Amino acid sequence: MTRLPNAAAQQAAGGNGMKRRNIVMVLFTLPVVILYSIFFLLPMLLGVYYSMTNWTGINPNYKFIGLDNYIKVLQDNRFYEAIFFNFKYTFFLVIGTVVLSLLIALALNQLKRSTTAFRSIYFIPAVLSLVTVGLIWNELYLRAFPVIGKALGIEALSTSVLANPSLAMYGILIVNLWQGCAVPTVLFIAGLQSVPADLYEAATIDGANAWQKFRKITVPFLIPILTMVVITSVKGGLTIFDYIKAMTDGGPAQATEAIGILIYRHAMSEGKFAQSVAESMILFVIVAIVSFITIKLTSNKQVGGDE
Amino acid sequence: MKLSKGGIVLKALSFIFLICGAILILFPFFITIITAFKTQQESAENFFALPTSFYLDNFVSVFQEAGYLTYFSNSAIVTICSLVFIFLLSPMCAYAISRNLGRGRYYKAIYYYILCGIFVPFQVIMVPIVKLLGTMSLTNQLGLIIMHVTLASSQAIFLLVNYIRSVPPDLEEAASIDGCTTMGAYWKVVLPLIKPMTMTVLILNALWVWNDFQMPLIILNESPNSWTLPLFQYNFKSQYTFDYNLAFASYLIAMVPVIAAYICAQKYIVAGLTQGAVKT
Repeated sequence: MTRLPNAAAQQAAGGNGMKRRNIVMVLFTLPVVILYSIFFLLPMLLGVYYSMTNWTGINPNYKFIGLDNYIKVLQDNRFYEAIFFNFKYTFFLVIGTVVLSLLIALALNQLKRSTTAFRSIYFIPAVLSLVTVGLIWNELYLRAFPVIGKALGIEALSTSVLANPSLAMYGILIVNLWQGCAVPTVLFIAGLQSVPADLYEAATIDGANAWQKFRKITVPFLIPILTMVVITSVKGGLTIFDYIKAMTDGGPAQATEAIGILIYRHAMSEGKFAQSVAESMILFVIVAIVSFITIKLTSNKQVGGDE
Repeated sequence: MKLSKGGIVLKALSFIFLICGAILILFPFFITIITAFKTQQESAENFFALPTSFYLDNFVSVFQEAGYLTYFSNSAIVTICSLVFIFLLSPMCAYAISRNLGRGRYYKAIYYYILCGIFVPFQVIMVPIVKLLGTMSLTNQLGLIIMHVTLASSQAIFLLVNYIRSVPPDLEEAASIDGCTTMGAYWKVVLPLIKPMTMTVLILNALWVWNDFQMPLIILNESPNSWTLPLFQYNFKSQYTFDYNLAFASYLIAMVPVIAAYICAQKYIVAGLTQGAVKT
């Protein structure tokens, strides 16, 4: 609204300068628009096209085969197992991330002093590479925990958790939570500090107990942050790749073959190039739908909490 | 009275909980450090014992045999070049968009066009990118840098456009009345004004590019001389299965630069990573 007089002033300064300014402005946007079109949009479109061919990735001769790849993917048991793995993993990841980072944030918020040291420590994992973290934990599972397990007499720890088909997923999940709670914790702390203190005082005077205060005052204020944490960890869970590549590479016996790993294998080592592209398109649709549902579900619960 | 008693109990519980958590967070670092300084024999005797002497041979072999410095400089080149281009291109584009969003249909269209990138997971374009870069002979570090700059633009533009909108245009207009060109006004007036958000974008991407594994894996895996650190570590893992002291030494020296940066610029890094999450 305040732009009107400015625009008028510029026009008064001369239509020529204005024109030149507009050209410069368009030029400002061009590098990013061109890069983005060639290296983001084009791969997307190529992906849609490749997914409808029978290209193996190596053989230069391939032809258009319509939706056959999609049909093949939707009849593929391995694909469903991968999707199931991702959903299960995402479910635990979301719950784990929300519960753990909220608990840490509440605990940090309780202590007014000595939190700086804690906060610095809890944030360190966030700056590290996922691969380095994965590889370190890989060694821990292999060499450190069996010793501890033996000392405590816990059978499940006697060999690496990652070598056990029924436990490998949880092994990866623990590493993901170890590293992935850092940012949500800081976000939750910011959320907790945004709650006006007088609301708690008023509730105390009215005789509310700690749980009621948490439920009725704290939670509504945290809903926007909760939405964000849930969406980012949903996306993280559905597209998990680095940890698995570093720790189990999909094994043992395909127990941790997530959809990202399956796409990579089909494309890079199994000569099912076109099929892997079809899989990635389906992954895109799944991520879009799940994110949309998450936003819908969490924004419905937001009852006047975001003021 | 009852309240303060409950308060103390709650505080004590929080403290114990946080101590346990901190131990869990620090445990892998502890193991990494002690193992990196031990010989294979020492580790075999007792995995958890502190090193008895200041043994540095693991580091020496990582530096000499594995050519750590090559991979370190590869990572540094890729990260620095990506950041330079992100710094040159993204704020400029965001500036043009945010100042013209209400005026031209073109700007609105490209704004939403670029924002779409936020919602598309990398794995969706992963496979076609390999083929595309292959046909353009860009399966090298240049290709990796281009991909980083491109994929960083969606989030960068989203963060920057919103930030620039909150900066009143009066100063640049004054500058252009004083005879500054649009480019000059942008460079001398706008860029300094939006420095906080530019810094956030650069910190986010510095960590992202430095730590990224998926893109180097699909783009550079065939040519070992151009590997970045995460890719080197991934491949190092299978080469040195039995000498894990060496592996830990390599993890430790890979973490040192990032942790040093974290210690020096903790405030900015925490703010950058959390803001990046907030706005995505």
